Amino acid sequence: MTRFASGLLGAALLAGFCHGATALEIALPQDTTTYQPSALPGYPLALKNCLTCHSSQYVQYQPPRSPRTYWDATVHKMQKAFGAPVEDADIPALVDYLSRTYGAEARPEPVHAAK
Amino acid sequence: MSENDQPSAARRGVLRTLAGATVWAGAARTAWADRQPDALDLPFKNGHRDLVAFPQKRPLILLTNRPPQLETPFSVFRENLFTPNDAFFVRYHWSEVPTQVDLQTYRLRVSGKVERPLELSLAQIRQLADPVTLAAVNQCSGNSRGLLTPRVNGGQLSNGAMGNARWTGVPLRKVLEAAGLQAGAVQVTFDGLDHPPLKNSPDFIKALDVDHAMDGEVMLAWAMNGEDLPMLNGYPLRLVVPGYYGTYWVKHLSAIEVLDRPFDGFWMSHAYRLPDDACRCVAPGAAPASTRPIGRFNVRSFITSLLDGDRVRVGHAQQVRGIAFDGGEGITEVAFSADGGRVWQEARLGKDYGRYAFREWTTVFKPTRPGPYALRVRAVNRIGQSQPMEDLWNPGGYMRNVVETTHVVAV
Repeated sequence: MTRFASGLLGAALLAGFCHGATALEIALPQDTTTYQPSALPGYPLALKNCLTCHSSQYVQYQPPRSPRTYWDATVHKMQKAFGAPVEDADIPALVDYLSRTYGAEARPEPVHAAK
Repeated sequence: MSENDQPSAARRGVLRTLAGATVWAGAARTAWADRQPDALDLPFKNGHRDLVAFPQKRPLILLTNRPPQLETPFSVFRENLFTPNDAFFVRYHWSEVPTQVDLQTYRLRVSGKVERPLELSLAQIRQLADPVTLAAVNQCSGNSRGLLTPRVNGGQLSNGAMGNARWTGVPLRKVLEAAGLQAGAVQVTFDGLDHPPLKNSPDFIKALDVDHAMDGEVMLAWAMNGEDLPMLNGYPLRLVVPGYYGTYWVKHLSAIEVLDRPFDGFWMSHAYRLPDDACRCVAPGAAPASTRPIGRFNVRSFITSLLDGDRVRVGHAQQVRGIAFDGGEGITEVAFSADGGRVWQEARLGKDYGRYAFREWTTVFKPTRPGPYALRVRAVNRIGQSQPMEDLWNPGGYMRNVVETTHVVAV
């Protein structure tokens, strides 16, 4: 350990335990995940609508073979309950993209690691 | 001390300390970290996950980046009865997460049906009462959701969205007494500094009944395991609701409001609800006739000294160790089976750190033949509640507490 680093650690410990730190700041790692590219018209809609509030892992990590009814209910829930500004006219294409890329209609296997 | 083998403050993620402020980023990769795996597979389909170090955290199982959601690798429970702060799970609902809190400006507002609305600094809160320290488990309502059969959509967690810590703070009751409850107070709501990025989204606000809020155990905590809360666990102050699911443990607590009616916000009236029956379960796929808000933990127990796939020696008597906990009655009995649940032996309970904490248990396991063994563990609490042998199912995938099985091979 360098003397400089040791000093930093000491200062952090002193601030944390003896006098009480007066502020805390963190820098979160950048979110580099995104949606699986596709020629389906719902792909740009997912990029436009589904990255504002949450990262794509919310979709990517769902159980494989999740049915179209799940994706349909979820997109409607995002719009109605969570206030996502999804246009009604865009919902069918969005559901189609999610079902065919991450759900029961994905071929041959659901996408596991879109990065 | 070798430059490569010891974690330094810089490598642990401290960028700088300036006028008492500590600034953290994710830990830089080190020679030590480079030897650790950077991903793992949780034991369900589509369970491949990266291990990523967020600020003030060691590499944890990354569920989502935005908002940060991190699961504790199960091996941490083998090494620690009290979960280290840098390994404690992280769960948020909205991605506007505070990344900077200054205690000079931080205030907790207490308003609503009170005699004296308050705006308290952390220093003022600390002076409201002698600090109390309580050992208590925090567990996500959806802990273990990914292991349910049939699968339930939502956050796909294995068993690591739980942790056991010593929380230090003041009883919520002292704060509410300082404000003075008006007659007719019914519920108390709790809001934190984390918010949705869009105006029309329901902010994450939770509520407790007044009697619960005034029980003297619910706590406003500024420290866990003797240190300031990490930012991602709620710095500078969080609600601690012993025995209750983590959904009530509001982080970065900034506003308390006393209501003369039940709170009807989204996160109480639509989310985190269970079938309103004794088992809180329905047939898989069925819709419950009526629902109620989630409440206390049910009984759970785990083997921690052996993990799925471990090898043990034939003819060698070895200690098996684990943990058990419940919603606050206290664990009174733990049974262990080495044959998938046909024959059970009583385990010995370890030190009692209180009825809300992990209770360690130990027993002896001596495999007599080579081959696979299905090790199972089942706990009972003071009022006779235990764990089901098969999954109980509900539409939210909450409260999984089936008798766990750890598969090992004797060689």
